[in-house]
Amino acid sequence: MCDSCGCDLTPDHSHDSKVIDVHQSLLAANTAMAEKNRVHIEKMGAVAINMISSPGSGKTTLLEKTIEAMKDRLRIGVIEGDIETDRDAARIRAKGVPVIQLTTGGACHLDAAQIHKGLHLLEKEPGGDQLDLLVIENVGNLVCPATFDLGEHHRVVLVSVPEGPDKPAKYPKAFISSQVFIISKTDLLPYFDFPVEEAKAEALQLNPNLLVMDLSATSGEGFEQWLHYLTTICQK
Amino acid sequence: MHEMSLVQGLLSQLHELAREHNKTKVITVCMDIGPLSGVVIDSFQFGFDILSAEDPLTRSASLVIESTPATYLCCGCGKRIEEELKPEACPACSETLLSPEGGDDIILRQVQME
Ligand SMILES: Nc1nc2c(ncn2[C@@H]2O[C@H](COP(=O)(O)OP(=O)(O)OP(=O)(O)O)[C@@H](O)[C@H]2O)c(=O)[nH]1
Ligand SMILES: [Mg+2]
Ligand SMILES: [Zn+2]
Repeated sequence: MCDSCGCDLTPDHSHDSKVIDVHQSLLAANTAMAEKNRVHIEKMGAVAINMISSPGSGKTTLLEKTIEAMKDRLRIGVIEGDIETDRDAARIRAKGVPVIQLTTGGACHLDAAQIHKGLHLLEKEPGGDQLDLLVIENVGNLVCPATFDLGEHHRVVLVSVPEGPDKPAKYPKAFISSQVFIISKTDLLPYFDFPVEEAKAEALQLNPNLLVMDLSATSGEGFEQWLHYLTTICQK
Repeated sequence: MHEMSLVQGLLSQLHELAREHNKTKVITVCMDIGPLSGVVIDSFQFGFDILSAEDPLTRSASLVIESTPATYLCCGCGKRIEEELKPEACPACSETLLSPEGGDDIILRQVQME
């Protein structure tokens, strides 16, 4: 055993400590993969959006209604992210567009490596290799997904009326890193205390560049603005 | 708890550095984690304490975390404001719409090894 440090190595090893300057982001590997994904998605002809919200804010329902409204005009493909089950993918498949399910097996967010895998799987689905719009539904979680670039072009964050208007203030990262903020389930406004204009203003305080909209997937109110937005980003 | 997966990434990077520089023991790890990074510093520290203890390379390593604040760009007059906390309004023109820049880094700055 070595006398100077009590370690089990041979006595001739060095005890010189060395300071190494690294200066690299812990997300560097994810970001590099995300860049590759973006190029891959553009080769498929598509613009990608990453949908982030708490569990149950209405991501899948919004997507179902969007597909119904846009299917004839846009080629839409979907990557569903959940911790377990392929239920969301089954709901989307029933609408007749190419979809694959990624299950994270416990992880609270999708990362760029999973999307890389997902893109290759999606391309094997009928119609999955030529798209105008790729929608990635992230794991239901308003916190962790915000840290991971997946290779999307636009990030959309949703808060539903029953969740309350304080979410931007409490979970700022998702709002700071998104381009669009949707207040969903506005058909429930009569039953909840959710001052829409205040919530919008608070989100804009965090990120003045946000495009803010409010809509209901059930009643269809406010849908034109959302469909118009999708049409615009797909024209590129 | 994405902090855990970030700590796992950090530990594998430390292994790579140790191999590259022929070292066997990490003494200190210096990180810069910005206030807008979406990382809870206490959770990151907690994850590091748990995972580093299981690993001979990092068993006695200490983690030092610094936090470089964001700057804010005023949407009214274009002034850049540097403050620890986000100001209520622009000191020059009183505009309240301030767009954050930076502050979202999760950077491994420096490692001391032997
Ligand atoms: N009233 C009302 N209910 C809605 C609306 N959109 C979705 N819901 C309901 O909200 C519940 C959750 O909707 P989902 O679309 O599954 O939510 P999600 O965000 O995909 O959920 P996760 O994938 O589990 O995170 C379902 O019971 C929907 O019927 C809406 O616009 N109005
Ligand atoms: Mg869903
Ligand atoms: Zn100003």
